Amino acid sequence: MKKKHWKSQFTSSLFVLPYLFLFVVFLLVPILYGIWISFHNWDLLAANHKFVGLQNYVDIFTSSTNIHKKFFQGMWSTIQFVIYSVPLLVILGLLFALLVNALPKRIQGLFRTIYFLPYAISVSVVAVIWLWILDTNSGLLNLLLHKPIPWLTELPYAWVALVLATIWWTIGFNMIIFINALNDVPEDMYEAASLDGANSWQKLIHITLPAIKPILIFVVITSTIASFNVYGQPFLMTRGGPGVATKVLLMNIVDTAFQDRQLGSASAMAILMSLIMIIISIIQFKATNLKKE
Amino acid sequence: MNNTKKGLLIVIAIAIAVLFLLPLLWMLSTSFKNDFEAISANIHWIPQQFTFKNYTYSLSGDNSDVPVLRWIFNSVFVGVAGTILVVAVDAMAAYGLARLDVPFKKFLFPIFISTLMIPWVVTFLPMYMEFSDFNLLNSYAALILPYTGNAFGVFLMYQFFRSFPNELEEAGHLDGANKWQIFLKIALPSAKPMLWTLAIFTFMSIYNDFLWPLVATSSPDMRTISTGIAIMQQGTFVSSFGKLMALTSIATVPIMIVFLIGQKYFIKGVTQSGIK
Repeated sequence: MKKKHWKSQFTSSLFVLPYLFLFVVFLLVPILYGIWISFHNWDLLAANHKFVGLQNYVDIFTSSTNIHKKFFQGMWSTIQFVIYSVPLLVILGLLFALLVNALPKRIQGLFRTIYFLPYAISVSVVAVIWLWILDTNSGLLNLLLHKPIPWLTELPYAWVALVLATIWWTIGFNMIIFINALNDVPEDMYEAASLDGANSWQKLIHITLPAIKPILIFVVITSTIASFNVYGQPFLMTRGGPGVATKVLLMNIVDTAFQDRQLGSASAMAILMSLIMIIISIIQFKATNLKKE
Repeated sequence: MNNTKKGLLIVIAIAIAVLFLLPLLWMLSTSFKNDFEAISANIHWIPQQFTFKNYTYSLSGDNSDVPVLRWIFNSVFVGVAGTILVVAVDAMAAYGLARLDVPFKKFLFPIFISTLMIPWVVTFLPMYMEFSDFNLLNSYAALILPYTGNAFGVFLMYQFFRSFPNELEEAGHLDGANKWQIFLKIALPSAKPMLWTLAIFTFMSIYNDFLWPLVATSSPDMRTISTGIAIMQQGTFVSSFGKLMALTSIATVPIMIVFLIGQKYFIKGVTQSGIK
């Protein structure tokens, strides 16, 4: 019996071993390796990497250093992008979902597909299409407006351009999640409200929003995380400009790693960036749990 | 709801749909224009001098600066290989964790799942160093393997196998089938919709990924189409929007086919990823 049990466990573990191997090599080791690198003065070209402890982290918080400038300038640009994009991504996502759900059943699928379509495209295609539409001299939008607005090279237009492209690209994702949440709201709640004489607006405020609150919070957080990770749009559309106004943190991390070749500093920046993102996730989980209690 | 209101909603929905499709149509339209007409101040949705030149230029095999066919091949190959690997390995692991007596599974599963919270930015630089240490940058391995550690698929399939009815497995046991046979002949076939969900989700994220293939490859031959576009946009094609739009149109075709075929599974995948 004992031997058979051992054999059975061995066969079973063969199911998990391939993933476990990939998990360790391509997730666990990189995480630990990244922390290790962040404790070193790790020049990409130098043969020896000196252990410096927490110095890279201290540097980020020391206002005279180059790395401090890069981290906080990038963080500020990233936070601006989050502030501009997330409310629109959430509110428009919900409005699109409400709109699609209010359409006749037969055509819901068609519109859902059209609004979701751009999500299937890669960020480089999205950026190049919008770069073309927003081009100052020959872009479609300025031709329609008959005005040479510098969408990509001046503030505040550069932010408008980045947010516009991002909404077009990703709003469908939020919409789908909202559509599913809306469909899970029990129909009899609306019927009861109708009997009480509630109008559509009152139903939205008093029934729909409270019922989908956990999903609403979830969408806020996933949108925030996604916006924190923004890279392709500013990299390709504004190249971080004008000046460094739209140079987001991820661009500065990549630059620090591959232009300045300072892997240690770049890793420390990446770890700090993800700590901030993890804290946001934790707040989300807490907020959703509170709702359930 | 009364008819006027319904009609108004349909009009709004159509207006938004048109706005959503216009960028793609403008891309297609420009891709058939010559460079001169592309930057013309008059808006022509239908090219006045219709030309295939932008496509033939990009697609001609002897154009070593712009090996578009190779880039498409790389993206599709890497997407398909990565997807097969991820789906196979994740389904096995999820089945093992959900249904079999895997040692330490009470300990392993939470560890796998907790990594879903860790942003990929943490792994991105060390992953680069790992592949650099093993001299594997600029290879298919570098373009495929980094996607395989992700626990999303394990999580998704685990949920499914957990709710999988016992009776089917027991019938298999009575017939004398071993674990592998039960997995392959009973569990997997019934998980088909879920496997497609994961497959399409995985394919799209690998095919569309940008930053990782951008840093992990450096030779023109090893670029994927999404990074190839970025290189061309900042280089040779910087002011040739006709060629650039032909390139983006070509890049969009494979992913649109996958999206439109797998749409219903993909939407399901989005939902599942949404409800944690």
